Amino acid sequence: MSLLVLEGLRLQAGARTLIEPLSLRIEPGEQVALIGASGAGKTSLLHALALASRPAAGTLRLGGQDGWALSSRARHQLRRTLMLAPQHPPLPPRQRVVTAVLAGRLPGASVARSLRMLFSPDQAQARLAFDALDRLELGARLWSRVDQLSGGERQRVAVARLLVSQARLWLADEPLSALDPQRAQRVLAVLQDAARAQDRTLVCSLHQVDLACRLFPRVIALRQGRLVYDGPPQELGARQLDEIYADLLNEAPSTPDDAPMTAAPPQAMCR
Amino acid sequence: MNAGSAERHDGPGSGRGGGGGTDRALSSTATAPWRRDPAAARRLGLVVAALVVLWPLLVWCEFRPWELLDERSLRATMRFAGQFLTPRVDLEFLTMLAADTWRTVAMATVGLALAWVIAVPLALLATARLSVSALSGRMAAGPAALRWAVRAVLIVLRSVPELVWALMLVRVIGLGPGAGVLAIALSYGGMLGKVYAEILESADAAPTQALLRGGAGRLQALLFGALPSCSEELVSYTVYRWECAIRSSVVLGFVGAGGLGQQLDNATKMFAGSEVATILLIFIALVAMADRISAWLRPARTAGQGGESRHPLSARPPARWGLRTLLAGLLALLVMSVVTLPLRWGELLGAGALAEMGRFLAEFFPPQLAPDFLGRVGQGALETLAMSALGSGLAAIAGLAVALLASRPPGPLRWASRLLLNALRSVPELVWASLLLVAAGLGPMPGTLALALHTTGVLGRLMAEALENAPPQTAQALRWAGASRWQVFAFATLPQAAPQLLSYTLYRWENNIRAATVLGVVGAGGLGQMLSLHLSLFQMRETCTVLLAMLVLVMAVDACSYAARRRLNH
Repeated sequence: MSLLVLEGLRLQAGARTLIEPLSLRIEPGEQVALIGASGAGKTSLLHALALASRPAAGTLRLGGQDGWALSSRARHQLRRTLMLAPQHPPLPPRQRVVTAVLAGRLPGASVARSLRMLFSPDQAQARLAFDALDRLELGARLWSRVDQLSGGERQRVAVARLLVSQARLWLADEPLSALDPQRAQRVLAVLQDAARAQDRTLVCSLHQVDLACRLFPRVIALRQGRLVYDGPPQELGARQLDEIYADLLNEAPSTPDDAPMTAAPPQAMCR
Repeated sequence: MNAGSAERHDGPGSGRGGGGGTDRALSSTATAPWRRDPAAARRLGLVVAALVVLWPLLVWCEFRPWELLDERSLRATMRFAGQFLTPRVDLEFLTMLAADTWRTVAMATVGLALAWVIAVPLALLATARLSVSALSGRMAAGPAALRWAVRAVLIVLRSVPELVWALMLVRVIGLGPGAGVLAIALSYGGMLGKVYAEILESADAAPTQALLRGGAGRLQALLFGALPSCSEELVSYTVYRWECAIRSSVVLGFVGAGGLGQQLDNATKMFAGSEVATILLIFIALVAMADRISAWLRPARTAGQGGESRHPLSARPPARWGLRTLLAGLLALLVMSVVTLPLRWGELLGAGALAEMGRFLAEFFPPQLAPDFLGRVGQGALETLAMSALGSGLAAIAGLAVALLASRPPGPLRWASRLLLNALRSVPELVWASLLLVAAGLGPMPGTLALALHTTGVLGRLMAEALENAPPQTAQALRWAGASRWQVFAFATLPQAAPQLLSYTLYRWENNIRAATVLGVVGAGGLGQMLSLHLSLFQMRETCTVLLAMLVLVMAVDACSYAARRRLNH
């Protein structure tokens, strides 16, 4: 049975259509890269997959359950099966790294366990957080405060939160946007290995088309809210890539903060 | 204590160093840092310390809330509360209250005008901004000493609560509005003077200094250099204080200054619940009206003393116009107040009165320093301190709980909790205390509860604002992952808002130490009760010692809270 089934899903923000009707099927254990120019709807789609924004039309089935037909309580229960790491990781600045990572374990945790994590994590919990951080080369930062980390380190803390979570579906929104190219590759490798080893499904939006094409067996491309490609990267031609990023070349990128990375012409990256 | 509110960074280095210190421990934590949480011992220590401190606080405050629920006091409360439901609204009573309401407003207005007269020259003397000698490096010794002296006067003026000023003034010039007006003038003069000086100093120094360097006089430099950039803030703060003065002037009625407060005091003493209800309703309406008027007309500041201007550059369209209307209105109000208040200025400030005041002051010295009396003063100080700390702590917890409801998305729950906060806030501590005395009898517990009730209203509103202003993405991320409502609060919202919540609580604690001394006067124990006792027995030397203890206590709390707030912002 498919883990995630989208049928005719359409997302709307006021009068603007964010995602045109879209159908998609993701099997358990799959690893999918989501590409597209900035403003193409990558984040909107991830939010829809995370049951965070209600579609204007269509259905979304997660593990066989129609997410938006459920009561809000049951839907919230269903959200425990997924975890979304946003692009700009929203971590409280005065929280400690260990707490921020362990927050990934909150869904379904008991009151006593959550309070223990908040006050001072026990050894097993701390070990869990340390191992996740250590794989991302952040082990030394276990007890630091979040506001002492750089932007790239915070992003890796958000990835570490994903690594400790028990959700079956990991959604990562541009997890590498603040990292330098070498480190980005290593972090992505850790994320993919962990997903494989723990039998998680991974959907990851990326602006590094070369990484997406090289490391993911399946690539989904969006352009202006429309699904333009879904399949193995080998069949994604240079022409198609140019089309996908056509808007980017014509207009300035809409979000200035990821401009330095996306500014390079993307078609050069996949060849 | 929550996630990481007040804690400081303990990096891996300091974590290792803080441990046992042997080489083995060092290497084992270096390779396996998860074994030891460097902050755990500190956090556990804090919790234990809090519990250890809480115990004596509860004992000193005689905090036994279940006594409120025993049969006898419950019956008294029910009877009193039953009368509440039928406020007295006959014409005779209402006419009397109208006159008293006006007297309350007039007392506040004249008092604040006098305070302004006291504050302006002192503020100009105290501010370093207008110093000529400071232009070329350090300020000269003479002017520096003068500034410190003026500052000390301002601190003393504002550290003594207005009710205490009133108590003493009533002794000298007798019952009536004169004592109330002068009490407001003295303590608000201190407040205004200190804040005026700070506002002048916080503005850009360049324009003033340029004028002074160019040979302009101090007054010219003030009018053309400093005032243009801070006039709005000065006006705004003054209007805010006018609103506070109205609240204070009700309280002053309790010691015989007349007005609504006196009526309220009489009515509670006679257990006339229906009269109390009417007076309280009028009072809440009056405070709400003053609050509205000043919020509407205040140009820059939005929310009370802690508020920063929301719109730094933009959005001040009707400000000028509003400012003029406001000033004209206040001036008219002032003139009417001076005309209608039965003040006999000659008697207040004539030679006879001044000589009387001199004699009165001379009796204060030397202060009573007998060891066993000092011991009792110390105990009173501890009681006052405990009342203020426990009251603020309870209010912080209750305020946070109500703020959680008040910061929910619009709905009946939000609306009801905001209404509750407003009602709690608009009744001053002293009025709460006099109501609670009916239920619980004399003692520190009703005082503590009264402080907690009023402070809950104030803190709840500020906390709701802080929670609403916390960036929502953090909470969203956890919510989208299926975390429960309280988990989201504990792991995302609270750690973000905590520094602000704590610093609001500390602010209120500074306020409550003054309020706690005042509450003693109506029988809640502590320094206030000692003061009113010794004053009524004409034991002036003892009174002087109690006053000094009050000053020391207020200043110590101010200093502690200031230091704690500074650490919070790091």
